[in-house]
Amino acid sequence: MNEPLLQVKDLNKWFPVKKGLLIERTVDHVRAVDGVSFDVAEGETLGLVGESGSGKSTTGYCILQLLEPSSGSISFMGQELTELGREGLRRARRDMQIVFQDPYSSLDPRMTVGDTVGEPLQIHGVGTRRDRTAKVRELLDVVGFNPGFVNRYPHEFSGGQRQRIGIARALALSPKLIICDEPVSALDVSIQAQILNLLKDLQGEFGLTYVFIAHDLAVVRAMSDRIAVMNRGKIVELGPAETVYEQPREAYTQALLSAVPVPDPRAMKQRRQERRRLRHALAPEG
Amino acid sequence: MSTSAREHEVLAPRPTIEPGASGDAGAPIQQTNLWKDAWYRYIRNRGAFVAGVVFGMLVLYCFIYPLLSPYDPDKVDFSLSNQSPSLEHLLGTDRFGRDLLTRTALGGQISIGIGFAATLVILLVGVTYGSISGFVGGHLDNGMMRFLDALYGLPYLPFAIITLAIFGTVNFWTMVIALSIATWFTTARIVRGQIITLKENDYVRAAKALGARWYRVLARHLLPNTLGVLIIAIFLELPGVILGEAFLSFIGLGISPPDASWGAMASDGRVVYRTYPYQIIIPSVAIATLVMCANFIADGLRDAFDPRTRET
Amino acid sequence: MALLDVVDLKTHFFTRDGVVRAVDGVSFTVEPGRTLGIVGESGSGKSVTALSIMGLIPKPPAKIVEGKVLFEGRDLTTLSERQLEDVRGRQISMIFQDPMTSLNPTLTIGTQIVETVRRHFDVSKAQARKRAVELLEEVQIPNAAGRLDDYPHRYSGGMRQRVMIAIALSCNPKLLIADEPTTALDVTVQAQVLDLLEDLRAQHEMAMIIITHDMGVVAEAADDIVVMYAGQIVEQAPVLELFDHPEHPYTEALLAALPQLEGHGIREGRLTAIPGRPPDLIAPPPACRFAPRCPYANDRDGCATHPPELRELRTGHWVRSQHPASERTRAGAGVPA
Repeated sequence: MNEPLLQVKDLNKWFPVKKGLLIERTVDHVRAVDGVSFDVAEGETLGLVGESGSGKSTTGYCILQLLEPSSGSISFMGQELTELGREGLRRARRDMQIVFQDPYSSLDPRMTVGDTVGEPLQIHGVGTRRDRTAKVRELLDVVGFNPGFVNRYPHEFSGGQRQRIGIARALALSPKLIICDEPVSALDVSIQAQILNLLKDLQGEFGLTYVFIAHDLAVVRAMSDRIAVMNRGKIVELGPAETVYEQPREAYTQALLSAVPVPDPRAMKQRRQERRRLRHALAPEG
Repeated sequence: MSTSAREHEVLAPRPTIEPGASGDAGAPIQQTNLWKDAWYRYIRNRGAFVAGVVFGMLVLYCFIYPLLSPYDPDKVDFSLSNQSPSLEHLLGTDRFGRDLLTRTALGGQISIGIGFAATLVILLVGVTYGSISGFVGGHLDNGMMRFLDALYGLPYLPFAIITLAIFGTVNFWTMVIALSIATWFTTARIVRGQIITLKENDYVRAAKALGARWYRVLARHLLPNTLGVLIIAIFLELPGVILGEAFLSFIGLGISPPDASWGAMASDGRVVYRTYPYQIIIPSVAIATLVMCANFIADGLRDAFDPRTRET
Repeated sequence: MALLDVVDLKTHFFTRDGVVRAVDGVSFTVEPGRTLGIVGESGSGKSVTALSIMGLIPKPPAKIVEGKVLFEGRDLTTLSERQLEDVRGRQISMIFQDPMTSLNPTLTIGTQIVETVRRHFDVSKAQARKRAVELLEEVQIPNAAGRLDDYPHRYSGGMRQRVMIAIALSCNPKLLIADEPTTALDVTVQAQVLDLLEDLRAQHEMAMIIITHDMGVVAEAADDIVVMYAGQIVEQAPVLELFDHPEHPYTEALLAALPQLEGHGIREGRLTAIPGRPPDLIAPPPACRFAPRCPYANDRDGCATHPPELRELRTGHWVRSQHPASERTRAGAGVPA
């Protein structure tokens, strides 16, 4: 299958800026996503990296049609998502899922773990109730969450455990594509590694394709085959992970990479001296 | 070349720390319940706790005492009329010789009954209106809220009176409707606000991403999470409708005798106020107690569900 | 004499579910002009330590049950609230993580700075305003004089953090405590803010404590580092020494769990994760608190029965472990190149 699983062409998402009291007029637009194009092949991970406001999460939401794109084409498994009717989209959703950033707001506090993970199965009428219960236990096991706690509530668990629940939910319908929207940003470093490993393992086991969105450059590097660097709604650089990180072409990418803190005191102090030198060079009067 | 942390790996290999066979299969980190937490916070609030107890006792008295009372609340016996509170008649008798302890309880049934029924109607209308407005958003929300703003201008009691006049008769249900018709707006507002806040949560987005239809999102995810707000809304609306009913009965527009709510009893008592003040004082105190308790309970519930609003 | 000397500090939270031993016997010193980095994950007790120093812990559930906080010889834990208020801002200042919520949105920036200045110094409003402009210029806010009367929402995240720094420095404190000062900021802004903090620290001859979970930030900003886990200090060393020769298994694991920016086989490989999760502070593991997650823990060495003491492995390098790296290598566990 040579056609990419996901093809995004000229995606735009503009938010209107309104002014006026009684009658609101649109005076300008915030171009959250500004002409973004990329392909994602089946089985690969595309990393989408950028600072806050770069449009990376908005891009992810547009792909899933959680936000309606202002214009552009999103072709998934050969289907043009922007042209699907409500039912068509609903069916397409079985194949594309999302893992959210905030483990505290991504799970309904009034639903048990089992209900949350089983909801996708319920919505699409998969199997009998007994089938679903079994499937839920299987999913929880796969993500490293003890299935014995299926009747507990999310608030009883830690951030890392909640993320596992969210991942189990995303896997329920055996999707082809999963958008990971900052899945480890809210977790401690020691837990981050667990969840990232889990995502890697799941990708191998289930043949998943990921669009991995994050602001942490090292995390994106660890997960991605190819990387797109975004800034202010546009893709600034796109290429294989190693190339983008080790031979960045764009000044923005270079600036971003050089700003990432690394656990190496000598390198960090050297960078500081570089920055100081730059500043003095730019402003000789001090 | 600097001895970076990575070079250390070459000099002395790092231990390989592999995650356990099934990752973090750990137990829950806390076992408390949101409701249990709220309950504990509530009973620690002394005012709310006392108010809750008093309210509860008042309701129990109103609904249970008439079953135990030796006196017939409707029996007229002029030989017993206008007796001040005594050991035989703890609250005295009215001018028809009817035991007031029993009649007050029965009156309470009507006042409280109408209060809760009207509150329920308010809740139903308010939740429907507010959740549709909040959930759909956009222009519909704008329009519905502007309409609501206009409705706020309606004077509550005169409107209730007009409604009763239109109905012609005054019974339990017409009274309930009259009282709720011009006062559901605040609840609608509160529910709308809550729905708008809840809509932003990722779990709502998750449900949509799973393909849930709008009614499932609303019924399964949004409305259940407004429960806390609704419980508070009940105790916020209650005083208004109870006082409303009391006032209407007081001016003679209440449910027809011999059934009498506290407002009607107060109206009867007004006639003999100078000579037998207890006949107006008793129902008035009952109304005031119920209303005050409801206020304290509402306050306590609000703090219990959201400890941040409490002044330390 | 050390500027700040924290001695065996214990801060416990008395909750309905039990006593949370958030900070359980922490000691360190901060010398004038030096920066101490306190590194730890959530639940390590690092923020509570900072708040305890300032006396800002919420007094009903929390309490400093033991220990001393000696600032220039004076024990802050014995001071009344009023006396502490005199110390805060003037002697010791603190900046917090989230610049969005640390500034009052209903007051102008100018008002907030002036308020702090006039709390500690007897100056006129005009003089205070002048000082405020100077401060904003010091933290490199462009067009400081013109922006003095803006409200916080007109400032970006990075600028708000600078304003926080300006307010913190307005009274020339001797010690600045920065609690996760860059966590909420973009990577490019982080570097600027850290540079700014360092420059100001040098100019004002202040000491600084930086609290963070980010090993990269602490590598850049700190002279000495304290690693905290489950309410205790597990390792303490000067910055180069710590990164060159991490001793405690937790420190090693933390460094190993960080995804690398450069190298080979990153995409295919797995990250070295630490199994399990940080312990419950109401009932922490009886002896070594890291033992349940430690790859070297065993019964022979009493990991579950004898709490390890903080001992000085080398000059200036303290470790709380039965199995520090150098003792392992000597015992033949590792293979030097």
